[in-house]
Amino acid sequence: MKRFSSARLSIILAFAASTHLSAQASPPNLSDPEVAHVAVTANSIDIELARVAIAKAHNAEVKTFARTMITDHSAVNGQAAALAGRLGVTPRDNPVSHSLLTGAQAARASLEKLGGGAFDRAYIDREVAYHQAVLDALDGLLIPTTENAELKKLLVDVRPAIATHLAHAKALQGSLADDR
Amino acid sequence: MTWWGFGALVFVAAVLSGARPGPGRHEVEIRGMAFHPAVLEVAPGDTVVWVNRDIVPHTATAKPAWDTGTLTQGRHGTIISRQPGELRYVCTLHPTMQGTLVTR
Repeated sequence: MKRFSSARLSIILAFAASTHLSAQASPPNLSDPEVAHVAVTANSIDIELARVAIAKAHNAEVKTFARTMITDHSAVNGQAAALAGRLGVTPRDNPVSHSLLTGAQAARASLEKLGGGAFDRAYIDREVAYHQAVLDALDGLLIPTTENAELKKLLVDVRPAIATHLAHAKALQGSLADDR
Repeated sequence: MTWWGFGALVFVAAVLSGARPGPGRHEVEIRGMAFHPAVLEVAPGDTVVWVNRDIVPHTATAKPAWDTGTLTQGRHGTIISRQPGELRYVCTLHPTMQGTLVTR
């Protein structure tokens, strides 16, 4: 199985506030079941953060964006689960997923201290950075290194949705900045 | 059954199945987070069908004129375009996705 370079690994971990793996001497090997676990974890993280945003966001468009994140990332995870079932593969926990979760916990903790417009801006800033990092990870790491054709196709099919989320988040980022 | 009766039955079945878009019926495919074609020209009274091929749900919405509602993967929504003119529509879930329906 292919190995990830530290530089490439840092792309996928760029959105994790705590990048324990980037400090490791030897990046881990990731099998396809581990790539699937990373993808499912990345979706789940955004769903959980969107739930926080629905509860705390002040701006109606930010709440709508958060609802779309839940709908879309849940749909992707549904497809991933169906594919894993069809292939008889169990997504395998791995250090990259752990690092993503650690970063997500830190992001959530800092967001929960905020309220009103400050929360909205911080959440959308995080979504811009997160989707950009996921896009970079898909292009530079996950799609090129995935070996199973169906898993690779799923990642390719998901890419436009991530790019659209990024564009949507950037548009909101601009409108929230104008409201300052 | 007579030959005439058989022919009529085949015609009715073909119409009901709607398997092939014919005159007055147009299909817009939603895939890769975009409407294909992005600009569609139709005649008044034509039927337009949006089919979602993406993993994530979409809408085709031109409020207050019409709204397909949420279309999950594989589902379709239909409108009949009656009002001449150019109408821009969006996916309300992903506002960066835009299309245009021209009726003339």
